Amino acid sequence: MKTGSILAAALALPGLVPAAYAQVTVPNATLIQFKYLYYRDYQESGNRITVNSPALYLLAPISDSWVFEIGAVYDNVSGASPYYHTTLSGASGRGIEDARSAGDITVTKYFGRTAISARAAYSTEDDYKSIAGGLTLRHATPDQNTTFMIGGGYSSDEISPTDGPVFTRTKTTIDGIVGISQVLSKNDTAQLNLYYAQQRGYLSDPYKALYGVDQRPDKRDQMAALLRWNHYFEGLRASLRTSYRFYHDDWEVNAHTGTVEWAQELPYGFTLTPSLRYTTQSAAFFYYDPVYDATLGPPFPPGYLSSPNAFYTSDQRLSAFGGITPGIKVAKSFAGGWSVDAKAEYYEQRADWRIGGDGSPGLENFKAQLYQVGVAKKF
Amino acid sequence: MPLTSYSFAFRAMASHCEVRVYAPDGPTARHWSDSAIAEVRRIETKYSRYRDDSVTTEINRAAGGAPIAVDAETGALLDFAAALHAQSEGLFDLTSGVLRRAWDFKAQRIPSQPLLDTLLKCVGWSKVDWRSPTICLGASMEIDFGGIGKEYAADRAATLIMELGAQHGLVNLGGDIRVMGPHADGSAWKIAVQDPRGEPGATIAHLEVSLGAMATSGDYERFFESGGRRYSHLLDPRSGWPVEFWRSVSVVAPIAIAAGACATVAMLTPVDRALKFLDAQGVRYLAVDAVGHQHSK
Repeated sequence: MKTGSILAAALALPGLVPAAYAQVTVPNATLIQFKYLYYRDYQESGNRITVNSPALYLLAPISDSWVFEIGAVYDNVSGASPYYHTTLSGASGRGIEDARSAGDITVTKYFGRTAISARAAYSTEDDYKSIAGGLTLRHATPDQNTTFMIGGGYSSDEISPTDGPVFTRTKTTIDGIVGISQVLSKNDTAQLNLYYAQQRGYLSDPYKALYGVDQRPDKRDQMAALLRWNHYFEGLRASLRTSYRFYHDDWEVNAHTGTVEWAQELPYGFTLTPSLRYTTQSAAFFYYDPVYDATLGPPFPPGYLSSPNAFYTSDQRLSAFGGITPGIKVAKSFAGGWSVDAKAEYYEQRADWRIGGDGSPGLENFKAQLYQVGVAKKF
Repeated sequence: MPLTSYSFAFRAMASHCEVRVYAPDGPTARHWSDSAIAEVRRIETKYSRYRDDSVTTEINRAAGGAPIAVDAETGALLDFAAALHAQSEGLFDLTSGVLRRAWDFKAQRIPSQPLLDTLLKCVGWSKVDWRSPTICLGASMEIDFGGIGKEYAADRAATLIMELGAQHGLVNLGGDIRVMGPHADGSAWKIAVQDPRGEPGATIAHLEVSLGAMATSGDYERFFESGGRRYSHLLDPRSGWPVEFWRSVSVVAPIAIAAGACATVAMLTPVDRALKFLDAQGVRYLAVDAVGHQHSK
């Protein structure tokens, strides 16, 4: 007889060990969380953007079937945004100093294994205002091993640039998501989510449009598929979390992103989580390389005079590149419901790190650092 | 918010049952306990052989007839019973309840060998045609989930409370116990083991369980003595006769249904082989043999 063969046979029975996460259950504790984020990105030619961002989050079960969540965040953004390409020769940018305040509230009602959430969000800064709302429905099977999710949202943004001619443009987004989470075994869970979003309205960067050339289509249809698989190694007391995301939009940006995390439980309530993410993407069909019109010079793309109303962008985020993000997070939980965590990530983006095609030539490499500390208390 | 200990006693499956749980407040504890008790009653209703409308009765009523289809939960239990039958060399057998027709512990009557021989024709999992999702019993055969039902219910009920958020507590269904987590201060639950020859409530030891389950099988629940011999309800499904290798076997395993199955199989196995079996299953145990010696690991 094999060691533990009876236990192995018993574990095949449904519902005898708590499901990992594919479940719809009412949170039973109030959670208050504070996080502080510091982010900076930079290129060889200088610092670009720096963000300081404190955020507060509260989750409160009001009764055994109603749960409220409230989030508030304040971002202080400073630095320089390039007018057009940041080429190896360097280009000056617009100095910016901006502050964003945003808040959102979510109300969830549980009906047994079904939950409906409604969310409303508001965000404002000097030149930008956004309101958003959405509904999500989640439903779990009786054994709580499978959870289905369907949701939809709407957001309306208003952009009023503070430089140049005074104008106000709007952008609306509707999006939808369907997903399924499945517990595969005591130690394995998988998740598949499909997203779809339609953006309509003013989608260009108003500052790049003013100082450079940025003329984007007024519609963008986006879709993405996310596949996640988590495995818990009992002997090692560690979780391996992997995910793959495919993204496609009608601007012809195709992106593939793979993420691997290893969450290692350590003595004294510590968890150490190293992570690695790789992403590769193709350029938007209207992205132009840093080669300029012979007559007009930078920032104008070749042929601009003959088709001044065509689509153009020099935004590095819409170029073709590969990016790598190593990161590390350490968390510790204390008695009495307290926990603290700290996270550091480094991001580097290079044209020649792209897989599946050439990267966009002539751009400086792009780098970023992210540091976040958080403290949370459960009651 | 400090956690308080709550206890809810109830009767189910012909046993004294209890949910003990540490919760932030009374309504939460009540909600958890109500959910767990409802799950126990659901399983009792669904599988009781005393109910006309139970799945067990439906399967037994169709014995000797056409195969009938069962739902996924029943299918999983039948799969488990089949695996257990194979791994215990036939000692664990869902069809052995037929032998109760011969062994009347109230009348204290020893059955005749011809009667046992006749009934044994209707006993044996190998005579069951179980091809998920359909099952077909031979004529006059019966199945009975009594050997695993309480443990299964304890596991399901405890898991349900854990998924609702409880981290400390236990579900006790007549001595089959699933522990959700230690006491709120981190100390293990001390679970008493009944003295198999003492008064009800007399104990011989405590086993400590922080997380996992404990189940006990004993020869003292139903028995009679005749001609200086003790005849207990622990019948070897292959011979039809009671065995007397052990007075009781208590097993600690990660889940109750595994603990209960190990205890049941060990009870029907001679001492040396039973200890080897328990060691091979990687479980903790406290077993009292037929002459009263304790064996533990």
